[in-house]
Amino acid sequence: MLKIKNLHAQVGDTQILQGLNLEVGPGEVHAIMGPNGSGKSTLASVLSGRESYEVTDGSVDFDGVDLLEMDASDRAREGLFLAFQYPVEIPGVSNMNFMKAAINGKRAHQGLDPIKGTDFLQKVKDCASLVELDGRLRDRSVNEGFSGGEKKRNEIFQMAMLEPKLAVLDETDSGLDIDALRVVSQGVNAMRNSDRSFIVITHYQRLLDHIVPDYVHVLSEGKIVKSGGKELALELEEKGYDWI
Amino acid sequence: MTGSKESFISNFKAPENSRGLRSQGDQYLVDLPVPGRRSERWKYSPISKLLNTSLNTCSGEGVVWPEEILPDPVPFLDSYRLVFRNGHYVSSLSDMPIDDDVICMPLSEVGAEFTNDYHKREWVGAMNAAYHQDGLFLKVSKNVSLDRPVVIHHLTDGADIAALPRHYIELEEGAGAEVVVWSSASEKSSGMCNGILEANVSSNAYLRVDKICNEAGEIFKFSHEYIKQERDSRVKINTFTIKGHWVRNELEIVANGPGTDSTFNGAYLPTGTEHVDNHTVMDHAYPNGTSSELYRGIMYDKSTGVFNGKVFVRKDAQQTNAFQQNSNIVADKGATINAKPELEIYADDVKCSHGCTVGQFDKEALFYLKSRGIGSDEAKALLVKAYVGDVISSVDREEVRNEILRLYSERHGWA
Repeated sequence: MLKIKNLHAQVGDTQILQGLNLEVGPGEVHAIMGPNGSGKSTLASVLSGRESYEVTDGSVDFDGVDLLEMDASDRAREGLFLAFQYPVEIPGVSNMNFMKAAINGKRAHQGLDPIKGTDFLQKVKDCASLVELDGRLRDRSVNEGFSGGEKKRNEIFQMAMLEPKLAVLDETDSGLDIDALRVVSQGVNAMRNSDRSFIVITHYQRLLDHIVPDYVHVLSEGKIVKSGGKELALELEEKGYDWI
Repeated sequence: MTGSKESFISNFKAPENSRGLRSQGDQYLVDLPVPGRRSERWKYSPISKLLNTSLNTCSGEGVVWPEEILPDPVPFLDSYRLVFRNGHYVSSLSDMPIDDDVICMPLSEVGAEFTNDYHKREWVGAMNAAYHQDGLFLKVSKNVSLDRPVVIHHLTDGADIAALPRHYIELEEGAGAEVVVWSSASEKSSGMCNGILEANVSSNAYLRVDKICNEAGEIFKFSHEYIKQERDSRVKINTFTIKGHWVRNELEIVANGPGTDSTFNGAYLPTGTEHVDNHTVMDHAYPNGTSSELYRGIMYDKSTGVFNGKVFVRKDAQQTNAFQQNSNIVADKGATINAKPELEIYADDVKCSHGCTVGQFDKEALFYLKSRGIGSDEAKALLVKAYVGDVISSVDREEVRNEILRLYSERHGWA
């Protein structure tokens, strides 16, 4: 599904990723943990195609295509999804128009006709119930005036709508109370299947109580320094990152 | 000799009516200077290129309406309509209200008592006073609301045209009217359209004006609206520049009594080398007035633009609530906007807020949209439509709103 080899990336003159290697197979859930500044969010940004990050070395193969050659919209159309740490408010663009444009962008890329109105509405209904997103939030402008928890639920709603091959969740637990964390995690778990993979980026172990990973990696100074099973997260929680 | 202010108007012919105003206009044409770079009001909108042309006023005879332009610019709107071509009334394309409480007719058939002094302040105003041709005269009686909007459609059509429309609206106490002021020009047109609209809105009356400029060709367009509001009257003016070679929109609202409410919004999205200038003045001289102003622009290609918004809150205008917001996106490197809010506040118990911004597209928002699989151009179109949509949504009539949206969409490739 995803093969990251020797990835180096920088912002301005600051080198952040310094030879990162990671392989994610179909249906696997990988957690990436690490102290602040270790490069977790940079990895998410580089994978999703944020323009301010420059890849200086390495390669990323995404299901047989060179991910780094594509711009952000094509990466999404190929099946990559990033759940933002800080979802953006876009006044005046309704959530529904946003999702319709996104789905039809992907469908056009696949040579398909735009989605039928009735199919779209049914999909909205199904996906919204997954994360308990009520009608009021669906019809409003994208994230405008949403609480922190509502924004994160909206991210997972969008993920469900777009049915990605690979979803990167960037600190989705930050700013969530325990109820919102449960709802968001349920949404993610409902989407897990044998084809869809996840990279769950988090600072804390608590999210991993809800979204149980197959693998846990520790990122430090732009490299993966330790990998293990889900028990590694517990160990980290207990001993702190200094232990690595 | 071209280029002098005398030679510019030498081929203009004045109709026989309104002798008093015309002679004042003649006098001020001599006395007032031509707008130039030295004047603060005109320095970003020089007209020297226009002065080097030789224009003619038309007689209005032999009207041939061009096929590509609909006489009725908002076809689905149930409205009255006054159509003008090159300043002259076209009765065969017009449809006027018949109502004892409403006087609605071409200005040339009545004598309006204009009260504004724009012609004493600006050379272009003096030109209109001296040479204006025709326009709307609308008077609505006390406590009567006009049952349909009035659409004024002015077409500039032909080469080296000087068109000088002039409109007058008077609403008596408690009266109400909606007016759409629509201007178009055919592809082959060049010259000048110099129009003035004066409205006197009596106490408790309301006036709504949607002004749309959708002109092809190469027209220098001056338009000045002067709105005087009496006690507790309400006014809402929306100014949309959809297309225009060189456009100067001037709006002046004078609150001449307490408790007035004034809302005025505008949008401009020039492309190519188009120039759009919006000058607004809101003058609060009495207590308890409210004003709300929202102008948004996106500058494309090598276009140039000006926003100048003056708000006066005079000494006696206590409890005024004035809001002004102007925001601009400079979409391309070659584009320019000169934006200047000017607030002069002399009363001490007032609420005034203003904001003026010039920036680029919100990169985070663009990335967010793209990260969901929306292409770059479509993502920009979504953002632009939302940004301008806030202004368009202030148009009350759905038919007018849809037509504005349709024309912008067509021009800018919005889905």
